[in-house]
Amino acid sequence: MKDFLRQNGILILVIALLLALITAVFSFTFNGIANPFANLAGVVATPFRNGLNAAVTWAEGVYSDTFEREQMAQELEWYKQRVAELEAEARAGEAASRENERLRDLLEFQQKHSELHTEPATVTARGSSNWSSTLTVSKGSAAGVEAGNCVIDQYGNLVGLVSEVGLNWSSLITVVDVDLELGGLIARTDGAAIVEGDFALMGEGRLKLTFLPEGTRLLAGDTILTSGLRSGGTATYPSGLVVGHVEEVRSDEGGMSDYAILAPATDLESLEQVFIIKEFDVVE
Amino acid sequence: MTTRDFCIKWLAYILALLPVWFLESFVLSRFPLMGVKPMLLPFCVVAVATLEGATAGAGFGLGVGLLFDISAGGVPGAMILLMALLGLGVGLLAQYVLRQDFVGCFLCGVLALCTIDGLRIALRLLGGVAPLNVMLTLAGKEILWSLCFTPLVYLLFRWVFRRVPKATVL
Repeated sequence: MKDFLRQNGILILVIALLLALITAVFSFTFNGIANPFANLAGVVATPFRNGLNAAVTWAEGVYSDTFEREQMAQELEWYKQRVAELEAEARAGEAASRENERLRDLLEFQQKHSELHTEPATVTARGSSNWSSTLTVSKGSAAGVEAGNCVIDQYGNLVGLVSEVGLNWSSLITVVDVDLELGGLIARTDGAAIVEGDFALMGEGRLKLTFLPEGTRLLAGDTILTSGLRSGGTATYPSGLVVGHVEEVRSDEGGMSDYAILAPATDLESLEQVFIIKEFDVVE
Repeated sequence: MTTRDFCIKWLAYILALLPVWFLESFVLSRFPLMGVKPMLLPFCVVAVATLEGATAGAGFGLGVGLLFDISAGGVPGAMILLMALLGLGVGLLAQYVLRQDFVGCFLCGVLALCTIDGLRIALRLLGGVAPLNVMLTLAGKEILWSLCFTPLVYLLFRWVFRRVPKATVL
């Protein structure tokens, strides 16, 4: 201990305490904006992260090409069949869509539309903590990204929300993170519920649908969309984004209410490209 | 020890830290084992503190804590202080209670991981975020999976320790 005191040990602890205080005060004061240390490190690390990520993705691609060719061929065949089925469904839906348009005109309803202003970004790192589910992407405040912006994948499925913004990078919490809580809509019944991350399910890459409307019978495979409202009542993301699909329905410990386990629609494990919704205009 | 020796020594430790950080952040975070990713950065602090002593451990802990805070998130600033204190504690333990070898490093590593996860569990219990049994299971898996990497990290830092300049004791 004498050595420690003699060798400026106290000074090191004081510096650590000051750095911790500065970081904490900055984070609580400028909620959602990266503290100076994180910002500087992120700015320097982003090009390296991009390079490393590209190398790892390339290696994964080589592995897939070598060892998963047969599985990929089977998947391609399945997707071709699915495309044919969906095309048939779309043809059938066209007539209904035209009729819907005529009726809207008749009743002078405003056309329902949603316009999203997105910023494409690459996933450069995955959170290394088991206690949260986060991703780092390659766009930040320089590209107009703000904390609370919603992030989707190339198919329009919800990925998560931006939680911290640096100059050329952002962190986001994914749909399975415990801190995520938003309004959900059961597509089949139009019933409103709450979508939230659950600590016990986070490791399995699943989330929960709670506060189910009374009398609702959920079916496995039911699609859950965003309702456009967060629990506080403020709309920070558009409605109609696909959150996930119902896997099973369970009762809580007391057996008083049911909740559903959802599988996210987006594939968080292999996500490479995302789109940050900077602004949106939805007319219902 | 001259200023040049001092700089070379800490540059060598920082260079040794980089591959461990790379492994944790870019490789192992992509391929979790049964949904669990190992925590390697605290072992770097433990290894340096065991080999170099309390002051060096606290200083290195400060730097690693900053890196941990930036890369893994959590309560802002908490890891900076915690890692510096862990470096100090482990350094003192290794100097006065345990031995400055692999066994000492391993035991201190277990203690460090238990402390970090214990604090995480306590914070989440206060916030009522998750049930205790689920968090204990996760912490157990995380600690066990992380401990598998202790020999690797220890050997890397011991290799550096044997090659860096040391203070001359008269």
